[in-house]
Amino acid sequence: MVALRFLRALSLVRCSGPGARSPSYRARGIRRAAYACMAASAGPRRAWSRALLRKIRRRPGRGLRRPRAVIRRRRPVGGGDPLEVALRRLVPGGGCMEYCRLLEEAADYVKCLAMQVRLMQTIVDSASHVNSID
Amino acid sequence: MESAEAPQISGVRSGSSGTCAAEIAESLRFEEEIQSLIVHPNFEASNGSSFTALLGLSGNQAAELLHEHGLTAAASSPAGAAEMWRLRLGGDRAAGELRLPLGCSPTFPSDAAIVESAARFSVFASEESPTSSSGGGISPRLKVEQLDPDSPPSVPVLPSPKTKRSPAKRKGTCEKSKARGTAKKIKRTEEKKDPTKATATEEDTADEKLPYVHVRARRGQATDSHSLAERARREKINARMKLLQELVPGCSKITGTALVLDEIINHVQSLQRQVEFLSMRLAAVNPCIDLSFLDHILSTQCEPGAGAANGREALAWNPAPWSPDSAIAGEDVRRLLLPRQYQVWHLDLLGPQQSSMAWERDATPHHNALPFPGTGTGTSLFGYDSTNSGNLSSDSVALNSELTNPIAKRLLEFY
Repeated sequence: MVALRFLRALSLVRCSGPGARSPSYRARGIRRAAYACMAASAGPRRAWSRALLRKIRRRPGRGLRRPRAVIRRRRPVGGGDPLEVALRRLVPGGGCMEYCRLLEEAADYVKCLAMQVRLMQTIVDSASHVNSID
Repeated sequence: MESAEAPQISGVRSGSSGTCAAEIAESLRFEEEIQSLIVHPNFEASNGSSFTALLGLSGNQAAELLHEHGLTAAASSPAGAAEMWRLRLGGDRAAGELRLPLGCSPTFPSDAAIVESAARFSVFASEESPTSSSGGGISPRLKVEQLDPDSPPSVPVLPSPKTKRSPAKRKGTCEKSKARGTAKKIKRTEEKKDPTKATATEEDTADEKLPYVHVRARRGQATDSHSLAERARREKINARMKLLQELVPGCSKITGTALVLDEIINHVQSLQRQVEFLSMRLAAVNPCIDLSFLDHILSTQCEPGAGAANGREALAWNPAPWSPDSAIAGEDVRRLLLPRQYQVWHLDLLGPQQSSMAWERDATPHHNALPFPGTGTGTSLFGYDSTNSGNLSSDSVALNSELTNPIAKRLLEFY
């Protein structure tokens, strides 16, 4: 699921202008596409995927705020534990969750991240393999 | 009376009673409770075992035994008394044979033996489905039942007979203050039980099905509702931590929450760094990748869905300068690949495609038509949809023969 989505996104990124864009610009786009694919394939049930997609889609300068009432900060937990705080910062959407929920989301996030990394690694390997053959 | 007793009883169980006056008050309240129990003898006849039978004593002897041991301020006694208290309420078998002389005030047994036996028998009284017998010393006529972590089916069976059997009997004293219908678990009352037995699954199944979940405190632990809730929460957290430990490689050996958390954080950071690094490599290598095989893959039944897709897309998306062909193809692929409930989500949120295309849109207001042809015979290479699996089988074989692209092959292995 993720693979197809990501490949499609990749091709779109590539299509923009192979000569016009610097690699770093493309790299940022690819990274963004990677996170977006990951979040989209995880589904709407996961808090981290929603938060990640929100973060990604917020980027193209949206001036107008949707009047939708979004309850964001349920409970800004007092972070006494530095480890917990660090984890909250790492997991997207981790600032509003309870600790228990945070651990759950972190587990799912780690799983999806690992899969995404594997996918990208595969693509890079096969691409370089193709190159090395010639 | 019931509501009035609730805070009192919880006060009893908090184990904070230090004064004699408080204990006398408690005992008086217990006396009232016992009297009420006697007055309402609507105990359902169960397997012929009663509270006193558990103790192997007659009713009066039990009362005397209770009465013998004076009032104490021992820390264990409130816990033990609470055990017995719960036993009396929770055990439906406690038939109205427990006749205490009205004059005597039931006192908490301070004798460790009595408390132990009460605790042991409380296990029997609370639980119904025999799974395994605990360690020794219990007479064979008593089935000491425990909650087996591997038998979650027993859990929903277990409390529902209890709730069904005597809902009126609960009197809302202990149970209401404890099982507020929220996430509480059924725990074992064994002596010196390991507190970190995985009861997470039991908790989940119990929560879904029942309004009440009757909690039983462990031996020697505080029976306050707050501490019970905290303990439930702690166990939940421990279960999640264990899950995380399994996910992160090399974490299983580490003991200690802080180190495990540290390892998890390091792992997440390393994964994120890897994503960055790989995206850089992909950007460098990207021009060399031939992704035209996607054209064949992604085009599915475009025509039938075209009209509907177009309309929906127009509603959901801002008008995009990119060609509608890709939108249709993308939508069809999504419809093909995704389970139904996600499709609305993806329509609404626009999927990742537009977001990843968004920067592209901003950057290049005009660009070439995207390589998504409207027609095609191929079906999804990574066919997940079960309904389409039948169709896919023949097509995917053809596809496979076509595809010489190494990336596609590798990705097949990936799946």
